[in-house]
Amino acid sequence: MSLALIAALPFLGALLPGLMIRAGRNACAMATGSVTALALIGLLLHAPAVVRGEVIQARFDWIPVLGLNANFFLDGLGLLFAGLILGIGLLIILYARFYLAKSDPMGQFYAYLLLFQGAMVGIVLSDNVLLLLIFWELTSLSSFLLIGYWKHLPEGRQGARMALAVTGMGGLAMIGGMLILGGIVGSYDLTVILQNKDAIQASPYYLPALILILLGCFTKSAQFPFHFWLPHAMAAPTPVSAYLHSATMVKAGLFLMARMWPVLSGTDAWFYIVATTGLITMVLGAVIALFKDDLKALLAFSTVSHLGFITMLLGFGTPVAAVVAVFHIINHATFKAALFMTAGIIDHEAHTRDIKRLGGLRHLMPVTFVIGSLAALSMAGIPPLNGFMSKEMMLEEAAHTGIAVGVFATLGALFSVAYSFRFIAHVFLGPKRDDYPAKPHDPGFGMWAAPALLVALVVLIGLMPNTMVGTLVATTSGAVIGGELPYYSLKLWHGVTPALFMSIAAVVGGFVLLKGHGGLQRAWNGAPRPEAKAIFDAFVDLCTRAARWVTDLAHDGAMTRYLGIFTVTAVVAGTAAFWGGTHGTGTRATLPMTPVAVVGTILIVVASIATAALHRNRFLSLVLISVNGLMISLGFVYLSAPDLALTQISVEVVTIMLLLLALNFLPKTTPRESSPSRRLRDMVVAGIGGLGVGGLIYAILTRDLGFTSISEFHLDQSKPGGGGTNVVNVILVDFRGYDTFGEIIVLGIAALVIYALTEALLSGPAGRRLRGWTPDFPRAGDRHPLMLVVATRVMMPMAVMVGVYIFLRGHNEPGGGFIAGLVVAIALLMQYMASGFAWAQARQKVQYHTMIAWGVLAAALTGIGAWFNSRPFLTSDFGYFRIPPMQEFELATAMLFDVGVFLTVVGAVMLALASLSRIARRAGEEAATEPMDIDPSAAADGGSMPQAVPANRTEEVR
Amino acid sequence: MNHLILAPVILPALIAPLIVLAMRFDVTLQRVFSTAATAALVIISAVLLWQSSTGAVQVYELGNWPAPFGIVLVLDRLSALMVAITNLLALGVVLYVIGSNWDTRGWHFHALFQFQLMGINGAFLTGDAFNLFVFFEVLLIASYGLMIHAGGAVRLRAGVQYVVFNLAGSTLFLFALGTLYGMTGTLNMADLAVRIAELPEGDQALLRVGGMLLLIVFAVKAALVPIHFWLPNTYANAPAPVAALFAIMTKVGAYSILRMYTMVFPPDTAATGTLFGDWLMPAAVATTIVGMVGVLGAATLSRMIAFSVIGSVGTLLIAIALFTPQGTIAALYYMVHSTFAAAALFLVADLVQDRRGKWGGDLTAAPPIVGNGLIAALFFTAAIGMVGMPPLSGFLGKLLVLDAARDHGQMALIWTTIIVTSLIAIVGMARAGSVLFWKAHAVTAEGGGATLAAGGDEVPQNALALTATFGILSTMVLLSALALPITGFLEDTAAQLHDPQDYIRAVLHAVQDAPADALGDAGVDAPAEGRAD
Amino acid sequence: MEALVAISIGTLTASAIYLILRQRTFAVVLGMTLVSYAVNVFLFASGRLAVNLPPVLLEPAPYTDPLPQALVLTAIVIAFGMTAVVVMLALGAFLESGTDKIDMKDDDNAEAKR
Repeated sequence: MSLALIAALPFLGALLPGLMIRAGRNACAMATGSVTALALIGLLLHAPAVVRGEVIQARFDWIPVLGLNANFFLDGLGLLFAGLILGIGLLIILYARFYLAKSDPMGQFYAYLLLFQGAMVGIVLSDNVLLLLIFWELTSLSSFLLIGYWKHLPEGRQGARMALAVTGMGGLAMIGGMLILGGIVGSYDLTVILQNKDAIQASPYYLPALILILLGCFTKSAQFPFHFWLPHAMAAPTPVSAYLHSATMVKAGLFLMARMWPVLSGTDAWFYIVATTGLITMVLGAVIALFKDDLKALLAFSTVSHLGFITMLLGFGTPVAAVVAVFHIINHATFKAALFMTAGIIDHEAHTRDIKRLGGLRHLMPVTFVIGSLAALSMAGIPPLNGFMSKEMMLEEAAHTGIAVGVFATLGALFSVAYSFRFIAHVFLGPKRDDYPAKPHDPGFGMWAAPALLVALVVLIGLMPNTMVGTLVATTSGAVIGGELPYYSLKLWHGVTPALFMSIAAVVGGFVLLKGHGGLQRAWNGAPRPEAKAIFDAFVDLCTRAARWVTDLAHDGAMTRYLGIFTVTAVVAGTAAFWGGTHGTGTRATLPMTPVAVVGTILIVVASIATAALHRNRFLSLVLISVNGLMISLGFVYLSAPDLALTQISVEVVTIMLLLLALNFLPKTTPRESSPSRRLRDMVVAGIGGLGVGGLIYAILTRDLGFTSISEFHLDQSKPGGGGTNVVNVILVDFRGYDTFGEIIVLGIAALVIYALTEALLSGPAGRRLRGWTPDFPRAGDRHPLMLVVATRVMMPMAVMVGVYIFLRGHNEPGGGFIAGLVVAIALLMQYMASGFAWAQARQKVQYHTMIAWGVLAAALTGIGAWFNSRPFLTSDFGYFRIPPMQEFELATAMLFDVGVFLTVVGAVMLALASLSRIARRAGEEAATEPMDIDPSAAADGGSMPQAVPANRTEEVR
Repeated sequence: MNHLILAPVILPALIAPLIVLAMRFDVTLQRVFSTAATAALVIISAVLLWQSSTGAVQVYELGNWPAPFGIVLVLDRLSALMVAITNLLALGVVLYVIGSNWDTRGWHFHALFQFQLMGINGAFLTGDAFNLFVFFEVLLIASYGLMIHAGGAVRLRAGVQYVVFNLAGSTLFLFALGTLYGMTGTLNMADLAVRIAELPEGDQALLRVGGMLLLIVFAVKAALVPIHFWLPNTYANAPAPVAALFAIMTKVGAYSILRMYTMVFPPDTAATGTLFGDWLMPAAVATTIVGMVGVLGAATLSRMIAFSVIGSVGTLLIAIALFTPQGTIAALYYMVHSTFAAAALFLVADLVQDRRGKWGGDLTAAPPIVGNGLIAALFFTAAIGMVGMPPLSGFLGKLLVLDAARDHGQMALIWTTIIVTSLIAIVGMARAGSVLFWKAHAVTAEGGGATLAAGGDEVPQNALALTATFGILSTMVLLSALALPITGFLEDTAAQLHDPQDYIRAVLHAVQDAPADALGDAGVDAPAEGRAD
Repeated sequence: MEALVAISIGTLTASAIYLILRQRTFAVVLGMTLVSYAVNVFLFASGRLAVNLPPVLLEPAPYTDPLPQALVLTAIVIAFGMTAVVVMLALGAFLESGTDKIDMKDDDNAEAKR
């Protein structure tokens, strides 16, 4: 079976449990189990070849640009770990079937478990370090899910998050390490990397790479000082603890250290970092384990200790030590998994894991007793069990390494003897009690089968190591060392060696320690110790609060500051860019300053500054700003831009009208809020901004253009190509008609937005606010004065005429659809102003929505029309026609396009206004149905005139 | 003349007014047409993507005027890709909107939505700098409408801020364009590239100013620190599906930077050199930090997602600021990914807030919501996508970025930033998730009452909403599953971007054909030889 | 002449920025209107200045550069649409929330209410 398939199987299989659970818990477990079994068989089929020393490979390209490819390879090391993962996985699945309660969602559990299994197999089979990273992070994720499996338990949630944070951190650090490694070697393929020991260890980046990678390994394998997450991960269901947190996931770190051993080990850095960490972890874990009353906590810390044990061996960097490490990985997997399952059984039957509440169980649970004790004795390193052998060899290596190491190693062994004995003595031995939370008894076969099998292995490996695991150890060690196997022998009796004395000391000492346990426990509980979880939580909490503080401080919604920062950024960056480049002063001949121009400029300067200075009086500021607009349009006339002047002035009018109407419902004055210093600051910012812009344009104006502007073409082609003499208009509707198309759409959208907004307002709290609206300033008694009404009535047709005229001449002389639209719109606005909205509305047949839509459609369809001429969008066409007796005149499709512009403009302006006036009506302005408040038609029957006149006089008086 | 290039712009531009004209009172009709149009757009952009993959740069000369005198649309790999992402995302969003009835909570949703698409597609396709401005305005004003859709005091006030800030940005855009035109006398991007390469030395300083102001304009759109301030309030207060669509808006800025500063101001330009990369990189790093720290610090779900958007933009711009083919590949891959990741998160957030009633998006424990497990799974997936954990595309994207940054001067800083901020984001998202979905069970356990009811009547529509969310999520899976062909395409795209000669030649070929008398001297026939040599 | 135009644009921009940095929406809207004037003139001037040379082909050459004029026309229209929207939006925000402050310090983290 292809390696890729072996790795993929569990992932694919993860879909099964969710479905099969419908067929019952057994079916679900069976399905899950068969997936794992299938993968295991697939793996074992490769075993013979691997033992022969072959390396099986499977390669698929995934992201060649990155060098991340789905390459897998299987050698001894991979075989061992994959075997452990799938084999123990099978047992766990069996065990979990009976462990989980009916209420637990089993489908979910098995799905997560298979996800984890796949990730784990992926790690050990990857031949690409980036691929390995992917699986590595996946294990963190799946363990996050499994630890948090019992969602209602706070320990579960916190434990899960802690595990994710710590192992995730390690994983991320490892990304850096692996990338560096790949950079040194020039490939991310493990098989290549493993060939380049010298290149790697010679590189200046060796140390950072080493540290980053070790961070990953240490966090994953719960090495000091990252060991604290593991005990809290024990909130997970026991099968998870047995599988992830003792047999497999926590060994991923060891695996990677073993995998990288050939290229990373052998340096001082490696020795001091790895061996020391391992030693500390081993002793520390063992000591803490002795004082834990929760069975799972005890086992968790013993796991930490044994992981340290193996780490230390790998750290020694000698081939023999590596062999021992491999051997102990096997042994630890067997007895520790068995112990966790035992703990689970006890928890399951006695409904407690608290050692203080247990004892004397050997009478009630003989089977469990045998299993548990054998496993524990192996953990203690008592002959003839497998734990003894690996411990002996470890002590041997430690002794060779140095006295201090030897002493500490013995100390660790001593404590592990103590807590192992305690596990047996305080749980099984002693008198039977009568205060168990539940009536304990041996579970069904299904539950103790798995641990029993493991313990059988424990014994058998102990009795006949070579037959059982000889070849496995050899093959694996060969893969780890990547060279000649050193001399070693797996046997119980190594003769009288220092190791023998050390382990005797350990056993005796451990026994003594257990005797005095009671006193020690009190001392321990009394002694102040740093509580890792508390520290971690406090730290995360601190970070979170700091993050919130700084984030909310910077993003507190202070728009004024945001805009200030924006302005300053623009000015600073712009200036910096300027100073960086070469700047030649302009040589263009400047135009003379005419007195008119000077006066105009002064007016603009004064008006704009006044607008800023007097802005708190809002009406006044509107007047002042319109002075600016007026002056600018005059400026456009002066500087030969008649179209601009027309547009500017008409837009000006409409804008001011809009602002006036809006101001109707806004406060009429702005309170003086900002402090003098604040105002000064703003003035400085504004001043700099103004200087920058002014300087920029001056520099541009005073130099000649280094190239011929593309507008030369426009001037040349306007008449022959565009059929118009007003180049600006031809550019708008022809050369750059696409811009204009976008522009009218902007107008249309604006109108739609305003309409939608008004709707939302009228139906919201604003609507209620408006109903209770009281005008906050005196209104003219006569809201629709006769003069204005009459004037606008007369103006209306004229205005429309003007509009049409401007529209038609647009193509050849200043004018065009947009200006025409605005003129007509203004004329209509006047009607409304004069006679009130309702009256005009009643006489206005076209729907503004329709107008806008037609406008946009007309423009778009005109453009599309060109397609039928097999020309691109917006290609214009024009011709000269002659209808006798009239003189020849021109028609251009561009005019059709301009019609679209016209319609959109009128529609948009009017819809915006309509929305405003709807607000006005909601605010209680009674809708006038008559054109004016007093009815001149009454003049027909005499006498009424006199009343009318004073009405007007009163008007004039005001 | 391949009229299909215009379709992504003209189709929504026709549908929107039709909706306003004929069906503004019938939401069902609107839905049908809006969805059909968006689906059509997806198909069209797929075809365009396929056409672009040949490597040929297609030019559409509007009004049949040759570039640089008229406006042209240009279809190359990059523009095709961006258009494709946009419309795919839009389809998901419009389906979600229909499923969750958001479009009935205010006026003109679908019309504005179509106009929005028109604006975005137009911005990606245009080859003319001023036209880019026009389409920026189209997409912005449509986005204003969508952002304040359904109103509400807070949303309107946030809307004012959004509009004002972007108005400031647009104004700066015009200043920049004025400067560029004043220096080069052209607006066509390809022509700009040609002329800037030959700029008189004395004009260089002013041109640099123009280029810098333009960069700031795009940086505003992309939400680059320190001009990102408009984003959090906008995204957190916009209707969630709209925020999901806005995931592409920041990318418009990123796209423009990529386009302009690889073609018009490439690092080998005499006048500007590496100026822009030097300014962009530190800002991008800062953006990543600000964003991810915000993820950890956010008090509400939407705000957290908003900051994760900022963070991802930062990472994206780090990749862009490298201005190397490798960096561009990474940038493009991460751009596609982060767009869908953010969108997915916003949709999930809406599903959550819809069901949590008075608790809304506050990150505090509340009774579990209807369909807790399913939505939790959706959130988990979207979250690991956003923080960049495997197996989703986020992890691959970050790997690509890290790998591309290998040779940059600031490599150590960049790596540390990306790696550390990822951790911060992981912690933040994990916290949010466990509060929202796990702690909930504790609340019930403490007798907090049963799960929150969420009106069974809207379950059928919710099915559609869920499907849409699921669809958007699955794009991230596809992105990593199909990484081989995708990165292959992106590799070619990056190559095309970093050697813009084909683009320039394709756009300016017309100059030779143009009537001789129409040609002035220097500037106009310069494109003929251009930088071709 | 050029100096005069530069001065006008400068002061317009400066006053506009000052207004934009105020704390009430109306002042900001005024600022936006003012700055749109400034930028329009800026864009127009980027084609250099000329007196009595309107780009209308009825009189003989030379003519001033027509392109910036066309661009400014587009810009004016767009600016008009934007102003209309922002005015209505400011009005709406005021009517809904009762304040026309542009800063949102009070309810920064508030979620959108549907």
